[in-house]
Amino acid sequence: MPQQLGAFLKRPKEPVCLRARQGVAGIAVLRPQVGVWIVLAAALALPLPARSQADSPGSFDALVSAAAGARDAQDFPKAIQLTEQALKLQAGWVEGWWLLGSMQFNQNDFAGAEVALSRLLDLDPDSGPARAMRGIAEYQTGDFATALSDIQRAIALGAANSAQNGMLLRYHEALLLTRNNRFEEALTDYGFFLKAGKSSDELRTAMGLAGLRVPLLPRELGRGQQEMYEAAGRAIAAYQAGDDAAARLQFQDFFQRFPNVPWSHFLYGYLLYSADSAGALREWRREVQVSPDNATANSTLAWALLVKDQPADALPFAQKAESLAAAKPMSQMILGRALAETGDLDRGFAHLEEALKLDPDNLEVHFALAKADSLAGRNLDAQRERLYCLQAESTRSIANAQP
Amino acid sequence: MRNRRAFGWLALLGLALPVWLVAQLWRPDPVSAEQTAAKKKHAHSGAAQACATCHAAEATEQPFTPMGSTLELPDSNPVVLKHSFLTTRRGAYTYSVETKAGATIYSVTDGQRTIALPVLWSVGANAQTWLVEYEGRLYESMVSYYPAIDGLDVTTADDVLKPETLEAAIGRAETEAQTKSCFNCHATHAVTEDELTLKTMQRGVTCEHCHTGTVEHLTAIQQGKSAGSAQASTPPSLGKLNAEQISTFCGQCHRTWEDVVRGGTRGTPNVRFQAYRLANSRCFDGTDSRISCVACHDPHRDLTSNRTEPAFYDAKCLACHAARARNVAGPQREMPKQCPVAGSGCVTCHMPKTKVLDGPSEFTDHEIRIVRTGAPYPN
Repeated sequence: MPQQLGAFLKRPKEPVCLRARQGVAGIAVLRPQVGVWIVLAAALALPLPARSQADSPGSFDALVSAAAGARDAQDFPKAIQLTEQALKLQAGWVEGWWLLGSMQFNQNDFAGAEVALSRLLDLDPDSGPARAMRGIAEYQTGDFATALSDIQRAIALGAANSAQNGMLLRYHEALLLTRNNRFEEALTDYGFFLKAGKSSDELRTAMGLAGLRVPLLPRELGRGQQEMYEAAGRAIAAYQAGDDAAARLQFQDFFQRFPNVPWSHFLYGYLLYSADSAGALREWRREVQVSPDNATANSTLAWALLVKDQPADALPFAQKAESLAAAKPMSQMILGRALAETGDLDRGFAHLEEALKLDPDNLEVHFALAKADSLAGRNLDAQRERLYCLQAESTRSIANAQP
Repeated sequence: MRNRRAFGWLALLGLALPVWLVAQLWRPDPVSAEQTAAKKKHAHSGAAQACATCHAAEATEQPFTPMGSTLELPDSNPVVLKHSFLTTRRGAYTYSVETKAGATIYSVTDGQRTIALPVLWSVGANAQTWLVEYEGRLYESMVSYYPAIDGLDVTTADDVLKPETLEAAIGRAETEAQTKSCFNCHATHAVTEDELTLKTMQRGVTCEHCHTGTVEHLTAIQQGKSAGSAQASTPPSLGKLNAEQISTFCGQCHRTWEDVVRGGTRGTPNVRFQAYRLANSRCFDGTDSRISCVACHDPHRDLTSNRTEPAFYDAKCLACHAARARNVAGPQREMPKQCPVAGSGCVTCHMPKTKVLDGPSEFTDHEIRIVRTGAPYPN
């Protein structure tokens, strides 16, 4: 849980705007500090209230002054009350919304902090620190989708540029990505911590949740549930640290201790794919044995076989995936591609056109269309699709593109 | 008596001298002899000989093609047999490749320490890179041999490596997956059921590499099975694949268009990936056999003989770009244009030789196009 803000308000020279407390995990627990205040004020270049009119009791300046005194005395309930009164008199006081939001946050009044920070963001939508703090407040209140959006926006605004702020925000981003079913992106974020040499049971459990595609936070796990996820996280960490041999042992150990866990072979295959596609195929085949009705595993296996030019092998998995998840563009694309590459061009094009309708910008669909057009002798269409892929590739990295 | 003896010696000398001179003139060049030995070794290896019983036209020459000899052992490697000592310096390190008595040693030194390792395999039939083992791990040598300079230079794509230790200066350490991938293209049966099987692999690309089911087919023939069952075991015909399918097939090692785009290889390094370049050509038609890889390159024939001459390819280009060429694409498409400049030597202008990052390796650009002076390399 967040710490009290008061301790930080007494340390005005801290250079960073948000500070990650290094717990056992080495992973941040939110701890905003006065630096935020300083940075924000500087960034916004706010004129501080004029002191000349400060002396009439109940005036804006008098309230601001009294609130500052209360903060110095660590009397936060009083400081909050006085700041709120001042903001009633001058709602455009950006710094005041920040002070109010920060204090409420540190009093664990996350809902209140959300309101105050929202008012600040109405006045200055590009305030990275405010958006970061509101994102974490939303995380605390369980508004996970909005929290993710705010944290990602804050990162884009540079709120994660310092190492410690980066840790804090990326850890929450990864947790929220998992909670929002965006597991691959979460694993990428966790890789950031491993590179920084961070490791803890909590981090590994969080990684295990993302790896096994369970949209929960570590804190939401029941007693006795952590062990499996922590073991999966340990194997992921070994792999992401570049220790293939250790990762293999960790995964073997995992499969022995926790046999037939859904997504576990999929996970290992996912990690292996970029460096060892044959190993990935082996694991994905195991996954569809463990979970025959896993549409993603079936489509991923089919896709990888297609990339290896084994369309006949891919076809049954593509058909299975499409039967399980026909509404997914990937299911349509993979079946279309498998059909086209095994000679059934008419049915193949029908599924590819459906995939294109569902997801017009998906590069995989355009790869498939380029090949199908070429196989059909539609040269101009094939050239157009190839050009599209080349242009798209030059603007984004698709080195590890997967369906 | 003494005079007669002297005459005898002179006569003998007179006879022996021309014989010796003729012998010197006719004596085969020692390098050629070693190369011939290497070729003989190849010719008698693997299943090629057995295949040649029925498929002589294909199997006899194939082992001598660059694909057939794309992996060599030191004792049968023409490059190191011809160049018994090669050396170069790169940054703080000096590299040498020395061959003595059938063994080749790859060494790197910083002047204080030296790491010397026996070359296990040589990869590549023209430019050549060496594989060595250091502390249980395979390394691709930091320097390679390039025929264009007849010497050593940094291995293609390794120029990004900036070794800070002697160990790192050996070269690029291969992961297990990279090793499998490497041998899977440069040898046959090197990977069985996803395991590296170097003890049983055959060097280079042999018949079985491309024609799956060759072993079963041979067994059926050798066991004298009926013509019907032998026929049934015949490997699938690759000749029936269309241009797109052949590109994908050859691209398993030469990289497909999709592989290159996925990998993000841009600029002249991708000139090495012919299937990718060809597919970017305006004239590429996935259904037209006249533009497939095998329309120009018979994989069973040695490309390094007269088939590197531009004139050899004229007929391939004119199969489409001639007044009498048939338009397989049908009436809805325009006929391929005829060149207004020349009727021969097409590839010299339309498929220019291109250096990889201005290094010593040079490839024919398979993106067939009208090359404009000063135009950038098309990606």
